[in-house]
Amino acid sequence: MIPRALRGRATAPAAVVLVLLLAYVLLWPAVSPYDSQAIDLDGGRQGPSLAHPLGTDQFGRDLLTRLAAGGRTSLLIAGGALAVILLLGWAYGMAAALAGGRVDATMMRAVDGLLAIPRLPIAIIVLVLLGFQAQNVWATVLALSVGGWMLTARLVRGHVLTVKTRDYVRASRAAGARWGYVARRHVVPNSAGVVLVAALLELPAVVVGEAFLSLLGVGPQAPIATWGSIAYEGWRFSRTREMALATAAIALFAVCANVLADAFGDALDPRRGPAA
Amino acid sequence: MSLAAFALRRVLVTIPLLLLVMLATFALMRGTGGSPFEPPEGYVGVPYQQERVLRRHYRLDEPWFLEFAVYVKNVATLNFGPSLVNRHLTVDDVIRGALPVTLELVLLAAAWAVPVGVALGVWAGVRRGSARDLAATSGATFLLALPVFFVAYLLSTYLVTRWQLVPDGWETNGAKVLPALALGLAPVGYVARLIRTAVVEALQEDYVRTARAKGLRERRVIWVHVLRNSLAPFLAGAVPMIALLVTGAFFVEQAFDIPGASTFFLDAAFTRDYPMLMGLTVVLAVLVLAANLVSDVLLAAADPRVREAQAR
Repeated sequence: MIPRALRGRATAPAAVVLVLLLAYVLLWPAVSPYDSQAIDLDGGRQGPSLAHPLGTDQFGRDLLTRLAAGGRTSLLIAGGALAVILLLGWAYGMAAALAGGRVDATMMRAVDGLLAIPRLPIAIIVLVLLGFQAQNVWATVLALSVGGWMLTARLVRGHVLTVKTRDYVRASRAAGARWGYVARRHVVPNSAGVVLVAALLELPAVVVGEAFLSLLGVGPQAPIATWGSIAYEGWRFSRTREMALATAAIALFAVCANVLADAFGDALDPRRGPAA
Repeated sequence: MSLAAFALRRVLVTIPLLLLVMLATFALMRGTGGSPFEPPEGYVGVPYQQERVLRRHYRLDEPWFLEFAVYVKNVATLNFGPSLVNRHLTVDDVIRGALPVTLELVLLAAAWAVPVGVALGVWAGVRRGSARDLAATSGATFLLALPVFFVAYLLSTYLVTRWQLVPDGWETNGAKVLPALALGLAPVGYVARLIRTAVVEALQEDYVRTARAKGLRERRVIWVHVLRNSLAPFLAGAVPMIALLVTGAFFVEQAFDIPGASTFFLDAAFTRDYPMLMGLTVVLAVLVLAANLVSDVLLAAADPRVREAQAR
């Protein structure tokens, strides 16, 4: 969806930014002189300084450290939700496409139905189901997964349906191979690429999804920091800096993942041709 | 297959989908721990007398399939029942009072976002590869990536609360401008990207060359021949766009103190007010499915191949 002219040029920078962001999130909390949860009420609401390059929040916590620690939790949630989404979506899409016919039609109609409810309300309902007492990282993972697997299922199914018509599959069938063998030997290995694309497409959605839940007050509870919870505190205390920092982190991450998803989608689909 | 038969067929398919949505929500609700009759701190539950009435009304003490059947029957007659937590409120009150506000907000946002997005997408698509295309497309990507809560926060905090340039709430027309603006930004980016891709692809088609070769003006080629063929991807993108709008409405309503349905939905979640959650979810699903239906029928009207594919 990114224009082809931009695609080729943007891919490498996006990958670099993503790696830098990951390095910051994973490594900085260990290196930083501050604890992301240590409260220092006298040092609250400081502007940027050498000691605190991004300033401090309402409770005197160093924002550079808190943003990294929050990112770590956000990405942990995103990774967990992504794993469940890919597994569920892959299995469902694969099953529908391999079964074909009426079974396929019914299964995909069910996906259409579930897609009629946007995933934020679904996630909130799942959190209700979990009873809110478990408002932790794993509840958020589950809530995001339940509403998120349908598009992956659709993507995998579409891909498998095209693979089923390819010459090498027909040749294999003509040579007498059973469907089970063809599925194992050709169809399943061939779905690796489409799963990768689905992963990159869903990655921004789950990161943003965590932020949405936290901002509505149903995400992981304090003192756990996530990008969403940092934004939530910014919202509650009218602190534009926290809001802007968390938003920038989320948006940067989402855009980079999107650019990479487009690039991989092109690379896996020879008909779409390389970037101009 | 005639268009009417196609439409009828799609309507019939939608009904089991709706039942499926209801069953899925119902299963989620039914499996939950905790009770709406023991609300969390800060909420007042209903008195015991009324609890008994409500239990009887919703058949809460009977097998789940009976409870579900009665619920479906009631919903089919547009009776969504009373709230389990607020004794002075029924789900129908919220659907008639608050939901139209949310709907108005969403429609206002779509009303400006779709034309602007289409125009931007066409403008960028016909200039593909140029610097102006790059600028427009980067802009669209930026709008799509810009989280709605941030825009809503900035506009409401500064323009409404601090500088008091615009009133909050939903009473005056002036108060509706900023929320509709904030909610529409991401859809503009989404539509623009969708249309741009479709336009770029359509421009390479033979019928565009034919149209040009027979001497049609470029303006007519673009706005009639090319744009008509980007209708399919646009309609296919309708559901994700509705999701953007509905999700965004939660934050925009919270930020601008708009008396829409999102507050009721969140309160119902906190207090486990199942009929309220289910009622709002079902109505939301009906609206999305109806929009989906309309877009499918429009697509079939524009493209006979779609009708034939369905008939097979």
